[in-house]
Amino acid sequence: MKLEVGYIQIRDIQTADKSSVKDGILYVNTKELEALALEDEHLKAVCFDVARPGESIRITPVKDVIEPRAKVEGPGDVFPGVITKLNTVGSGKTHVLQGAAVVTVGKIVGFQEGIVDMAGIGAEYTPFSATYNLVVDFTPKDGLTAHEYEAAIRKAGLKIAYALGKLGVNVTPDEVKTYEYPSIMEAIKKYPGLPRVGYVQMLQSQGLLHDTYVYGVDMKQSLTTMLSPTEIMDGAILSGNCVSACDKNTTYHHQNNPVIEDLFEEHGKTLNFCAMIITNENVYLADKERSSDWTAKLVDYLDLDGVIISQEGFGNPDTDLIMNCKKIEETDTHTVIITDEYAGRDGTSQSLADADPKADALVTAGNANQVITLPKLDRVIGTLDYTEKIAGGYAGSLEKDGSITVEIQAITGSTNELGFSRLSAR
Amino acid sequence: MVKEIERAGIPVVHVCTVTPISMTVGANRIVPAIAIPHPLGNPSLTPADEKQLRRKILTTALDALSTEVDGQTIFEVK
Repeated sequence: MKLEVGYIQIRDIQTADKSSVKDGILYVNTKELEALALEDEHLKAVCFDVARPGESIRITPVKDVIEPRAKVEGPGDVFPGVITKLNTVGSGKTHVLQGAAVVTVGKIVGFQEGIVDMAGIGAEYTPFSATYNLVVDFTPKDGLTAHEYEAAIRKAGLKIAYALGKLGVNVTPDEVKTYEYPSIMEAIKKYPGLPRVGYVQMLQSQGLLHDTYVYGVDMKQSLTTMLSPTEIMDGAILSGNCVSACDKNTTYHHQNNPVIEDLFEEHGKTLNFCAMIITNENVYLADKERSSDWTAKLVDYLDLDGVIISQEGFGNPDTDLIMNCKKIEETDTHTVIITDEYAGRDGTSQSLADADPKADALVTAGNANQVITLPKLDRVIGTLDYTEKIAGGYAGSLEKDGSITVEIQAITGSTNELGFSRLSAR
Repeated sequence: MVKEIERAGIPVVHVCTVTPISMTVGANRIVPAIAIPHPLGNPSLTPADEKQLRRKILTTALDALSTEVDGQTIFEVK
């Protein structure tokens, strides 16, 4: 598969009578977008705001972040099987409004959504302080269940991002990157001396609103499988997650997975990136055993030399991570795992719920229990009602002066296990 | 909690879904549970079948509690 991705740099979002992309400015007619969102009979009202980098704005509770993209050429269109027709994506041409994001806000679970600060110390912990955000706050109709509300917000957010993405279809991109993902046989012939490296991406699928969708399929119902990384760039994997904000992968993370980007960067130079495997994180022990068996079987079958495994979330998925690592190592394949830590506020507790001596190469995305005080910001988009209940918050989190003391767990993307963050160690 | 109670000299059975974590943290008597969101039951069963399932888990745990072990042992629910 070959995908050409054209990046159109967005330097501001402004409301206007006519939606368009001109000279790097994304103009949006929010009335049109409102009508699009309210096509869903579950939603009562929708409210739009723009949040720019550096503005004194706190956005919470954040559900998902989506990058506006649309296909220019090639079979299918972005977010296949969910808001566009089912078709194999990942080839042809795709345009991206880079620097822009749709941020969906709503109190679905309340305590399992996140915080995005556009200024102050909190801004350094989330990548979405650096994007121009169209924030969409959804109010559900009365009596809606959490599951119906989540599904409605998820689809409305995607529809808005797709509508914005389509504005870029006829715009000349500022930069074009080509990603080629040949068949395994071709790849091995092309780079015979280079180590064959695969990527195993674990997807949150615990149910109870901790879900990820692949071509519209709830990943908990799938066995471990393979796809081209270019399909993921076209929105084949979507977040339906209401879970701790720091280490869930938003849809934006999937669209811009840095593990995939870096493997492509090294492809043909230091390694041969020839397998993309996705697996789930289910709540039955038998599922964990079966899925990790399958992961190891595929790695063995493909005769890979090395594998990178990224986790999503924490707690019992630590067991899926360790099972994947251990079983893949037992096929004589080297592994490196990417995870984050819950090592307590003082950093001295055991970081993962599970462990194994075979997990001897690990990249950490940081300690999610680290406590931070976020200063009062001038404006709040959404509500602070859930600040003390949010995962990472506690009774007393919200100070009288408007500042918030929370674990960085509450900040969207702060310890992202794809490495899509700015945390580093000295 | 399992380890601290055992340290005080009282045997403990850890009923849990993810038995590998129980092994990692060092429980001695382990009984596998159903699933993380509903460890001690299964909402997809009829109430009568679920009651039977619950009873099986409990009797397995009680049997485990009164069984001498040499090391970490998983007692499967039959």
